[in-house]
Amino acid sequence: MQLTGLLDLVIIGLFRGGLYALMALGLALVFGVMNIAQFAHGEFFMVGAYAAFFMAAVLGVHPVLAWVVALICSFAVGVLVERTVFLPLRLRSREGWVMNAFLLTVGVSFVIQNIALAWLGPTYRGITEYWKGNISITSGLNVSADRMASFIAVIITIVALWLFLQKTRIGRAIRAVAQDERGATLMGINLSRIHILTFGLSTALAGLAGAVLLPMTQAYPTVGFKPMVLSWYVVMLVGMGSISGAVVGGFIIGILESFSYYFMGGGWQDVIVLSILILILLFKPSGLFGAEVKGIWER
Amino acid sequence: MIKLIGRSPTALNIRWISKVQSTWKLLGISPLGLTMLFIIGIAPLFIKNEYILRLMVVSLMFATQAMAFDLTIGFINVVNFGFAAFIGLGAYTSALLAINLGVSPWIGLILGMLVAGFVGFLLGILTLRLRGIYAAIMAWFVGLALMSLVTVNVDITRGPLGLVVPLFFDSAGQIRYFYIIFPIMLGTLIVLRLLTRSHIGLAFRALGGNIDAARASGINPVKYLVMNWTIACSIAGLVGVFYAHFFGILTPAVMHTKSTVEILAIAYIGGRGTLWGGLLSSFLVIPIFEYLRDLLAYRWIIYGLFLIITMVFYPGGLVGVVHLIGNLIKRLYTRLTKKS
Repeated sequence: MQLTGLLDLVIIGLFRGGLYALMALGLALVFGVMNIAQFAHGEFFMVGAYAAFFMAAVLGVHPVLAWVVALICSFAVGVLVERTVFLPLRLRSREGWVMNAFLLTVGVSFVIQNIALAWLGPTYRGITEYWKGNISITSGLNVSADRMASFIAVIITIVALWLFLQKTRIGRAIRAVAQDERGATLMGINLSRIHILTFGLSTALAGLAGAVLLPMTQAYPTVGFKPMVLSWYVVMLVGMGSISGAVVGGFIIGILESFSYYFMGGGWQDVIVLSILILILLFKPSGLFGAEVKGIWER
Repeated sequence: MIKLIGRSPTALNIRWISKVQSTWKLLGISPLGLTMLFIIGIAPLFIKNEYILRLMVVSLMFATQAMAFDLTIGFINVVNFGFAAFIGLGAYTSALLAINLGVSPWIGLILGMLVAGFVGFLLGILTLRLRGIYAAIMAWFVGLALMSLVTVNVDITRGPLGLVVPLFFDSAGQIRYFYIIFPIMLGTLIVLRLLTRSHIGLAFRALGGNIDAARASGINPVKYLVMNWTIACSIAGLVGVFYAHFFGILTPAVMHTKSTVEILAIAYIGGRGTLWGGLLSSFLVIPIFEYLRDLLAYRWIIYGLFLIITMVFYPGGLVGVVHLIGNLIKRLYTRLTKKS
């Protein structure tokens, strides 16, 4: 195989991986801070995709504005879910929280998906493109303008989120809660607000991914399943709750996928990625960058 | 002394009776539960409506699955999120054997169970080092991998097109299917009951509660965890074989996470860790669902909300409600008898 071909595969993998990283970031954030293993992540992807569709195709606004609206919409839905579902559970029982919260997200996913189905029907809604044209990167590889734009949006979001978490007061509060909830409360951090914000942020990231991917995936009630599964691959690969790891892991999974797609043909990428993942988990259960699996997470 | 007593015929009789009694106690089926099982068991002799019978067969199928599912979630506290894949594994094993080699579905029942049980055994070993949510996600990944394998190997399984599987019987008639699945359900209930009421069940619960404490009290986690996964998965495979030869059409969609979620919902609405809650809820939920067919997607919303409400506000599930009512009646009864 030629070198340029190899490079192309890496670039395609990076483009795919950026979006996985964005999704996985949300998963890692919500698991790290709130210990919720989010199964309904794909549903917020769907919310974002629908919001972007109605903004861009029906109202015909500028794509970037549509993305922002999608971000806000999925943030709002996330906050609603957190308040109505997870807050009552947290108030009622903390025993076996991780497993119960996980099962609860399964229920949430079920409800949101079927609300979309009842309300909007099973039709595929999509747009052909946000921007026209292709951009050539290497001699043999043309990338559509949409993919380029989505990649740029992803990078900007990741950097912005990183700056937010590292440099601002609220970001530091979020990280403090992730480290030690009780300690953070003692320092005067309002736990309830941090939980709202974290959950909203995580769902907003999923929504943004759905919005920027709209030309490629379209919007329909079960659109979120595949991206959700992929972001779970990433999170398990790097270790749950590792936020910086999620970004790296996203790119790893993206490249792995594009390679297995090229060498084995369509459909096999899932089998290959899963086999590698299962092997890694077998020898290092905490994931590539994960800490020891202990404490509250094992419950 | 004991030997001496053992010789006398009356003492032998008493011992025999007490043995039956203790086994009965171990089974822990209340008179109410027994009547329910009996009514379900003889119902097809009186119901001649094929549609209702079919509904009952489907309910029994889901009940068995929910019970097997409950063995993992209710006792060792890990969700077997790849459960549906094991149903599919059993189904595909038997279906492929029947189509390609002409193996009878009756032998398929055993083979499908063995294959699913074996893979479940491997999964049990695989998840040994993982705890809680990690094990659940691992099981999910294994399930997804199995589903992708079935979907990708188009020349064997015909991929998403699905297989047309020979049925158990050539002629129509649901009653015969009923009397295949009913013993399977009954057997599952009895086996799981005996298992969970013995010291093994205690070990499961201990491991589910706190694995380190359980190990410190001398419970071998390897043995019991692997045992749990193997049994649950082999029952899934058994039901899967029935599924394949009952519906006659088999697609990889059987193995999808969605099917797992359906079973999870039934097990949870019934009551986690109760086993027979699955039977109760599947006989309530599935007919009600058929009845509400006109509501289309709205019924799923109701279903999901019901699941969420059960999880958050009433973790005891339907069995919890039954116990509550039972206690109320008991209290009322004692109060009434005291007064008189």
